[in-house]
Amino acid sequence: MTTTAPRPSVTETPQGLSNARVAKKGNLFVDWVTTTDHKKIGYLYLITSFLYFLLGGVMALVIRAQLFAPGLEIVATKEQYNQLFTMHGTIMLLMFATPLFAGFANVLMPLQIGAPDVAFPRLNALAYWFFSFGSLIAVAGFLTPQGAASFGWFAYTPLSSQTFSPGLGGNLWVFGLGLSGFGTILGAVNFITTIITMRVPGMTMWRMPIFTWNTLVTSILVLLAFPVLAAAMLALGSDRVFGSHVYDAANGGAILWQHLFWFFGHPEVYIIALPFFGIVSEIFPVFSRKPIFGYKTLVYATIAIAALSMTVWAHHMYVTGSVLLPFFALMTMLIAVPTGVKIFNWIGTMWRGSVTFETPIVFALGFLISFVFGGLTGVILASPPLDFHVSDSYFVVAHFHYVVFGTVVFAMFAGFYFWWPKFTGKMLNESLGHVHFWILFVGFHMTFLIQHWLGVMGMPRRYATYLPEDGFTWMNQLSTVGSVLLALSMIPFFLNVYLTARNGQKVTVNDPWGYGRSLEWATSCPPPRHNFTSIPRIRSESPAFDLNHPEVDLPAVEATKKAPAEAAK
Amino acid sequence: MRHTLKRRLKGASLVTVLALVLAGCTSQSALGWLPTERGLTNQVDRVIDLWVVSWIVLLVVGVITWLLIIWASVVYRRRRGQTGLPAQLRYNMPIETFYTVVPLILVLGFFAFTARDQTIIEAPLEEPDVSIEVYGKRWAWDFNYLNENVYLAGIQGQELPGGGVDNELLPKLYLPVDKKVEIKIESRDVIHSFWVIDFLYKKDMIPARTNYWYFIPQEEGVFRGKCAELCGEFHSLMLFEVHVVSEQEYNQQIQALRAQGNVGRLGPEANVLQNLPGTGAFSESE
Repeated sequence: MTTTAPRPSVTETPQGLSNARVAKKGNLFVDWVTTTDHKKIGYLYLITSFLYFLLGGVMALVIRAQLFAPGLEIVATKEQYNQLFTMHGTIMLLMFATPLFAGFANVLMPLQIGAPDVAFPRLNALAYWFFSFGSLIAVAGFLTPQGAASFGWFAYTPLSSQTFSPGLGGNLWVFGLGLSGFGTILGAVNFITTIITMRVPGMTMWRMPIFTWNTLVTSILVLLAFPVLAAAMLALGSDRVFGSHVYDAANGGAILWQHLFWFFGHPEVYIIALPFFGIVSEIFPVFSRKPIFGYKTLVYATIAIAALSMTVWAHHMYVTGSVLLPFFALMTMLIAVPTGVKIFNWIGTMWRGSVTFETPIVFALGFLISFVFGGLTGVILASPPLDFHVSDSYFVVAHFHYVVFGTVVFAMFAGFYFWWPKFTGKMLNESLGHVHFWILFVGFHMTFLIQHWLGVMGMPRRYATYLPEDGFTWMNQLSTVGSVLLALSMIPFFLNVYLTARNGQKVTVNDPWGYGRSLEWATSCPPPRHNFTSIPRIRSESPAFDLNHPEVDLPAVEATKKAPAEAAK
Repeated sequence: MRHTLKRRLKGASLVTVLALVLAGCTSQSALGWLPTERGLTNQVDRVIDLWVVSWIVLLVVGVITWLLIIWASVVYRRRRGQTGLPAQLRYNMPIETFYTVVPLILVLGFFAFTARDQTIIEAPLEEPDVSIEVYGKRWAWDFNYLNENVYLAGIQGQELPGGGVDNELLPKLYLPVDKKVEIKIESRDVIHSFWVIDFLYKKDMIPARTNYWYFIPQEEGVFRGKCAELCGEFHSLMLFEVHVVSEQEYNQQIQALRAQGNVGRLGPEANVLQNLPGTGAFSESE
């Protein structure tokens, strides 16, 4: 028996930040640049990464325009085209998706574990500024005479050597990403320490929300993968600038780089997928009015995916003739199993639930439907005899856009609509949200579904143009039209953000969705500087739900714990 | 009565739909849209079969999953005026075990077929009749006919105004039909990839490394080849053609190369990157 005081009710909005000092605009600026508040740093991450998302998106539109018909010269030279897809890939993976994870994790993870801030607030700020300046350095290649890096986002040596890609753009790319990579590593150290040491009493590991679990596992993956990238990058920089010979082809450097890069590169795919699996895992239960189905299998699936993801890097190298095909094929195929478990757990969460279709879950469903197809093509690509044909073709481009766009972008918007009231204190408009979703969903599938056929029929990726007799023209045109539609879907979103900021109703309750489960729904919208004025008792993985819906029985997990003998009967 | 009638109607409509779908099957979809024909080489049938069967199994799994998602969204939607909460079910071990074990079995089966096919496709052919050494170079191809001691130094695709390239000028690789072919795959500078699209196979050309591809072309014809690994500015113009011809015509083409004076082999001495500092060849200060 525990005796507890009744929870004090929080009625008025806490005034954590609005002290008089922040009245002047200059003070506001200084306040944001010098902040160590995990939420503000999180918002900095979210805003910066979203800006890079827009930048990378504009580049994608130029790429699609260039491919509208054979022989076009929308971009003046093929070298510029190479710069565009190189920076598009770099930006989307390392300046958008990865820091977007850091953004969501920064804002939400401390709230979800009931912590007042992260373990190392100043390290946290340093990590953000490393990322920010590193990314600026890499993108600044566009301002140099020869332009930005043009050797593809995986920078295969010897193409990325000084001999074949001279110019400052490549150097800026190498060292910029090195710096930004250190930011990611420091961020991960901070997340792991925070989750291990700063959980509120009662929040055992098995009561952490799935998003927090995924943040923890992702951060561990970051620590396994990013140091390898940083080391590989610095060695490449040393080859380029100081004339060292780490990646000389004569010494096997071409394959060495591929191993090092993909040893980072494949876990990276899961680094940008797992947190977004976490986001939808938070959303399905709330709008199904049921707890997450199979909490433990979901956590084990996350751990299994992370572990397997460290053993599959060479499936990017099947056609090099330098890797042990059966091992990497088997490991890659095995990843399908825990991924499938997750998908069925999400469906199981909705099963026999009471599902309403607010914008967050609509985006989560859009993610689920798109991601299933990306998973299927992933299994095809895992098989070397099939990969020999489609590797390095548009089939691969289509596959990873289904996986990465389907996960990161759909889940990002799901998260934005879901937590917007928690971030800003105002709810985004539902109708505009649905319009946004449908344009994005149709545009996305129109752009990328056809690219599977393009690849199978023989269009290699990274081709600045193709031949009229290839017969690819109409497919590329369909894809380009789809990409325009996809881009237009940002208009309702921006309109929504603007109208909400101007006219949106202030959220006065802790949980505007009514069925929020994790701890962030037990504090005000937006939360005070140190997050909580009081914390409910934590007796399950859904403390806010237990608080707001005491009519519901004790969770089954607790019941079995209390009476294992009875449960066994 | 009405029940069975309904069921029969359903069954009949299912058969009709299936028949329509099967009748609508073009030769393309029967190949899974792979840009090839059965029997083109000794390898493509194997790839086509694995591709088509894998896709059927995967699409069945995918369709079931999509139907479950739609079912859960439609059937378990909150109705107007509904109040209260559904049963707070947290887990169901038998079902969770089921959807862990079944995919595991599927995956292991898929791996078995994959392992079988890749071993056969990658196996070297004993005593090849034709041995070709292909060098990738920015942005074209050199073909050394090793047995015949002739070579072709290819040039990069020449763009035509308004799109396309001059096919006449593309490097052409001649292969005799129904002969065992060995292709040695090498690079002179950066990584390229040797892809003959209709043969459903590619292999990377990696500097300072030799890769091999063994196959038997079984149909005469002209087939498209492309570089599939980013190699610099004119990557998209690094194209070639494979001409599978009768033995007689093959010999004529070899003679033609010999008549042009292309006798010998363009070996590694034509590689770039031989004067890099630190390699002991030349250095900038000398």
